Amino acid sequence: MATLEIKNLHARVAEEDGEQILRGVDLEVKSGEIHALMGPNGSGKSTTSKIIAGHPAYEVTDGEILLHLEDDDFGDLEIPDDARTWNLLELEPNERAALGIFLGFQYPAEIEGVTMTNFLRTALNAKIDEREELLFGEDDEEEEEEAGYDTSPMEGNVDDGEVGVAEFQKLLKEKMELLDMDEKFMQRYLNAGFSGGEKKQNEVLQAAILEPSIAVLDEIDSGLDIDRLQDVSKGINALRDEQGTGILQITHYQRILEYVEPDHVHIMLDGKVVKSGDASLASDLEDKGYDWVREEVYEAA
Amino acid sequence: MSAQLPANLSAETVREISDARDEPEWLLEARLEALEALDELELPDVIQTPGRRWTNLEALDFESLVDPLNQADETTRESPEGVVVLPFTEALSEYGDLIEERFGSVVDPKSNYLTALSAALFTTGTFIYVPEGVDAEDVKIRAEMNSRSLFSHTLVVTEKSSSVTILEAIESGDSVDDARYFSNLVEIDAGENSYVQYGSLQNLDEETYTYSLKRADAGTYSTVNWIEGNLGSRLTRSDVETELNGEASETKIVGAFFGHDDQHLDVNARVWHKAENTTADLVTRGVLDDEARSVYEGVQDVGRDAWSTNSYQRENTLMLSDQSEADASPKLIINNHDTEASHAASVGQVDAEDLFYMVSRSIPEEQARNMLVEGFFVPVLEEIAVDEFRDDLEELIAARLR
Repeated sequence: MATLEIKNLHARVAEEDGEQILRGVDLEVKSGEIHALMGPNGSGKSTTSKIIAGHPAYEVTDGEILLHLEDDDFGDLEIPDDARTWNLLELEPNERAALGIFLGFQYPAEIEGVTMTNFLRTALNAKIDEREELLFGEDDEEEEEEAGYDTSPMEGNVDDGEVGVAEFQKLLKEKMELLDMDEKFMQRYLNAGFSGGEKKQNEVLQAAILEPSIAVLDEIDSGLDIDRLQDVSKGINALRDEQGTGILQITHYQRILEYVEPDHVHIMLDGKVVKSGDASLASDLEDKGYDWVREEVYEAA
Repeated sequence: MSAQLPANLSAETVREISDARDEPEWLLEARLEALEALDELELPDVIQTPGRRWTNLEALDFESLVDPLNQADETTRESPEGVVVLPFTEALSEYGDLIEERFGSVVDPKSNYLTALSAALFTTGTFIYVPEGVDAEDVKIRAEMNSRSLFSHTLVVTEKSSSVTILEAIESGDSVDDARYFSNLVEIDAGENSYVQYGSLQNLDEETYTYSLKRADAGTYSTVNWIEGNLGSRLTRSDVETELNGEASETKIVGAFFGHDDQHLDVNARVWHKAENTTADLVTRGVLDDEARSVYEGVQDVGRDAWSTNSYQRENTLMLSDQSEADASPKLIINNHDTEASHAASVGQVDAEDLFYMVSRSIPEEQARNMLVEGFFVPVLEEIAVDEFRDDLEELIAARLR
């Protein structure tokens, strides 16, 4: 079981006189749990998610983000004792991803010329390679250099990687069926010309392929019609139920929480998590609004 | 003309070249005429921005670069059935009249100093003839340059309702210590309702200065598509042009370039709409790394009689280094109001959010960047009809990235 532990996280925009956005975020998400992170615009939810993933636009000024791993987190792969706790802030974004952190983007990038199949298979193989290197310090530079050549933007590295083309396509097909996604997406360019809903479905699909320990989903529910919301919710529940992924779901709305029931709900205000509770907190919030939280928090203080 | 002529560039030299090739009198005369014109001709125009002349052709030392009597190349030609693909020396006996009629009819040797020099001195090149109704795929011409200077001339003639796809590749063979000069003129005379795709892949070594002018005369209902790939050379000046002379004729001018180190690429795409219902699509994608520079000029000229014209132009340059430089000027000249046209150019870096998106999915940064660059070229790759050309271009792009 993996645990993502955010302690006293302070961060600002990484530029001169950059605005301070996070002012002491504390949060803990374990594998298999579903957390909802709610809060008004500008409270720091999206920033928190981007910093977990390692976005270069933010600078952490205090606090830490730790990832604790346990034996069963990577299937049969044995995790050395000295590689069980990681300070994510010291790792590159791709290394964080390799250790099981996934960020579902609010606005996924549209990338022309790179097919879904190529992108996802490359990502899966990169994850497997990088994870081994991080856990066991294996250095297979030589192999990597050779691999770079037989590449194609349409198909990717045909011979390269742990997971071959045929095996990957089978996996992709399975996961797409689960999410009720059309197979035609496989050969389309990554998010290019996708509708808003298709992009969000694609984020969940990517999580299903990469099997993260902890998935942070930034407003995965915004702008979805009811059918798509249900597909996406089904996908998120499957991540938790079938892969034991811990979910940190950032949302403005109670609506998705009817389909993806959270174990814990947290409310952010002004760069801090100010209130936590169970699913009922989300309904209270829906009824009473953020002013209620604000009053409660600042009166108590 | 200000350029210093090589000492042995004389009528005698030109006669010697022509004699050695056993050429007919008319071709010798054409060479001599081009030679004589040199005195009055100027170098091709280059883009100028305030305080800067982007491509300094004047600085080329033709005296040492051009060695007319020692030209050498090794060229292989693959031709599918039904189409004639021959060096001029072999084609002249059987197709002499046709060649005499069409040679120099699309590219005027007196266009500028460099075209005239090329017309006077060429020793290699190909005559491609596609008879009426013949469909030919994958004509492949691969040339290796083995001398200090090399002048090439290619003529493509397609008869009514024929079609052909062509790859012309040029690279360096034997190494020569000093700078080199490669000149390439290509003319296409596209007959009624014919289709030509002419792909060109230039990957010369980085001691070579390259001048290339490719021009097509598109007949009624014909389509001429150009794919121009430039990866090699120290300096390249490339002009790819189509005159849409026939009613309902079409052209695509698709270009890809990838410069690194201190390469200088001056690439130009131009189309003249001269008849009704003509369509043009100009697409160029370029990547620059290190201290490489690029200059692009795209011209869409819609003539007074070109009713119902469609004309589009896009140029995008991607910079991988802070030291690289690019200038792009898309130009649209419209003399007929019944025109649908657009033009756009952009110069930018790899998008930081695109990169972060990929990196957040475990892909290491450099690999992610490479995938984005390869993806950037896909709109060009997708246009290529000759598989071998596409594979080669992909491979060269991949190799340059790693």
